[in-house]
Amino acid sequence: MTDLVTCVIDGQSVAVPVGTTILEAARQLGRDIPTLCHHEALTASGQCRICSVEVEGARTLLPACAAEVRTGMVIHTRSERVDRSRKVILEMLASAADVSEAPDILAYAEEYGADFSRFADGERLTYPILDDNPFYIRDYNKCILCGRCVQACGSDMQFAFALTIAGRGFHSHIATFFEKPLPETSCVFCGNCVGVCPTNALQPKLSWLLAQGTDWNEVREQTKKSHPAKNMRKRR
Amino acid sequence: MAAQTQILTERIGKIDPSSLEEYVGSGGFEALRRALTLSPVDIIYEVETSHLIGRGGAAFPTAFKWRAVAREEARPKYVVCNADESEPGTFKDRYLMEGDPFRIIEALAIAAYAVGANKGYIYIRGEYPLAYQRLAHAVEESRRAAYLGFNVGGSDFCFDIELYRGAGAYVCGEETALFESIEGKRGQPRLKPPYPVTHGLFNKPTVINNVETLANIPPIILNGGFWYRSLGVHLNPGPKLYAVSGHVRRPGVYEATMDLTLRDLIYELAGGIPGGRKLQAVLVGGAAGAFLGPEQLDVALGFDSLHHIGATLGSGAVMVMDETVDLWQVLRRVTRFFQHESCGKCFPCQLGTQRQAEIVARLAEGEIRPGDKALLIDIGLTMKDASLCGLGQTASNALLSACDRFSLLGEGGGQ
Amino acid sequence: MNQQDGDLVYDYPAVEAVLTRHEGKGRAGLLPCLQDLQQINGWLTPELCQLVGQRLNIPIADIYGVIDYYALLYKEPVGRTIIRVCDDIACYLAGSEEVLAEFKKWLGIGPGETTPDGKYTLEVHPCLGYCDQAPMALVNQEIHGHLTPEAVATLLEAK
Repeated sequence: MTDLVTCVIDGQSVAVPVGTTILEAARQLGRDIPTLCHHEALTASGQCRICSVEVEGARTLLPACAAEVRTGMVIHTRSERVDRSRKVILEMLASAADVSEAPDILAYAEEYGADFSRFADGERLTYPILDDNPFYIRDYNKCILCGRCVQACGSDMQFAFALTIAGRGFHSHIATFFEKPLPETSCVFCGNCVGVCPTNALQPKLSWLLAQGTDWNEVREQTKKSHPAKNMRKRR
Repeated sequence: MAAQTQILTERIGKIDPSSLEEYVGSGGFEALRRALTLSPVDIIYEVETSHLIGRGGAAFPTAFKWRAVAREEARPKYVVCNADESEPGTFKDRYLMEGDPFRIIEALAIAAYAVGANKGYIYIRGEYPLAYQRLAHAVEESRRAAYLGFNVGGSDFCFDIELYRGAGAYVCGEETALFESIEGKRGQPRLKPPYPVTHGLFNKPTVINNVETLANIPPIILNGGFWYRSLGVHLNPGPKLYAVSGHVRRPGVYEATMDLTLRDLIYELAGGIPGGRKLQAVLVGGAAGAFLGPEQLDVALGFDSLHHIGATLGSGAVMVMDETVDLWQVLRRVTRFFQHESCGKCFPCQLGTQRQAEIVARLAEGEIRPGDKALLIDIGLTMKDASLCGLGQTASNALLSACDRFSLLGEGGGQ
Repeated sequence: MNQQDGDLVYDYPAVEAVLTRHEGKGRAGLLPCLQDLQQINGWLTPELCQLVGQRLNIPIADIYGVIDYYALLYKEPVGRTIIRVCDDIACYLAGSEEVLAEFKKWLGIGPGETTPDGKYTLEVHPCLGYCDQAPMALVNQEIHGHLTPEAVATLLEAK
């Protein structure tokens, strides 16, 4: 028998096994909480904070994806503080990255009344589209730094450790070792990072070429190259 | 000055900080000797009785951490001294490390004995080369004299210390970020819970205390917790170091009990404002602190007394600004600091510190737009409510307190 | 930093000694190892990072992420003397802007830049924790407090 803990979510009482997160408990009640960095297959990093909920007595909001339910918690998945935080995070995200191909963000923005024009004159970092292998392209202008690709590349899935977050603060960005092209890194082109990317910053090269109207013969030519490991340039 | 004390700073300027002989000659390592004759439970009892509150900024009862780690069964356990002092305006820990380095080693050894740890770390800010040299020398000397290593002071207690130098990241002063940094990762804060007392350094039970907090330990062991509790203010007892800078005649570190008023600190201890100029503002608690005005000079500089007026003692930094100062230029630096030091892990702080600094830089140039105040309040509240760690949660405190206190954007202006 | 025709020449015995000293510690050896290597070479080259990765058994992408995170670790060449001028609150109140201007004038470079001869790198740094000696600068490991534009000139002339 697993021990149960009881809490109240939006006025409804629920008993869940010890170790259940607030997000899981809420979903059990049919209450959805928005998430961005969270992914079922990856370790909860609690960094996007879009899933923040208000717990009575807590000084700050808590990330529902990572915070576990404790007995007696009274949780509000919507409140003035929660809604403001979600709205402002979405507004600031849209000012720093191109979220036009991130359906979740667009839907949440609608739901929380986010006004993308509020921070529109803020600095935005721009990156060249990285097209350095036959399998996928990297358009970090669309990256929101959820970190899923780094997790998937590392100990959560593939153990390839080709990716990292480099820089700090607003200048944080996804990088390879000294920003080298992927074929020169430990990338094994498993595609897991592409699969978990929520904003289309990582795209299969095939669909990227097709979306640009490239004709089929050319697409086939560009995506059937021999395995990049074979073309790897020997360094020194 | 009734409130002024010389407990933490008793040796500073009086002994050669590189001489173990002078340290021992002035009563050094007596507290450790005495501690080794007591049981760990008794030591924690004394610390608990003393009501010692952590001096790093978060104001957490020290004995609570020690007891929690002492009770943990997991092994090994660690004690860590947080010497990554980086809060703007704060230099008290550097003063202690440069002036009395053996004291930190003695105190950390007592902490280790009390909680059952055999390994300690001191994580020193990378920009403190002299403090690092002095501590490194003190660790070597202490080893040589068997105050560190096997059978400390002839007892069966074994303890050694490893020094780490920071590499230039303010957020590493956050305890879990400091652990990440020692573990060779990007020094970013972890999600809490779990807390360091159960899952700290290398995921083991860990006590982490600030330099100044530890400096309080030897006198508590020697004179007892009740003695300590009788010093100064009820519930905020003991001596506190205040780092005074800015427009005062004698900037520096002053030690006093927490009934010291801001007025006495600025005008008596630090010699007042030069040139006969008037006081405009005081930033108390560093960049994460709050601005006070001349009408608040009679507030006592304690954790509770400042909390009552919506301010915070934080690390004990007191930055004094006279009437000639353009506060927007100060605020520009405060917000630029957080923009530079945000680790980038959680979205509210990574984006909020950037946007906040951009808006303040524009305001400092005199370009005010309608809605600015609402934007700053929205960013501030979102960072405060939703950021992962204390950096983001406090990154708008000083700015919003200044706007409020000095009506910088008008009464509800800029709306 | 020894750099000739694009081939980097290291003080290999010193590098080897650093790697040997830290290799048993796993990731906990990473930060001190990088700091020690930087002491030898001035900055952390990809080649050095690869060596660290092999010997300490750490993914090299992670090493890059760590270097790029910390303000005091360098992933590109810097001057032999790094001048870090504090321009935070207390130093600003004491006139750091004039001090910084003097450094710029003397060195002919702006913050974040290195002189063409590779001698100096100038940085504006957040509060360095010497507010009682404001305005101040760290010149490599030396602490220079109570700076004035004249003191800056004297300091640089003596170098």
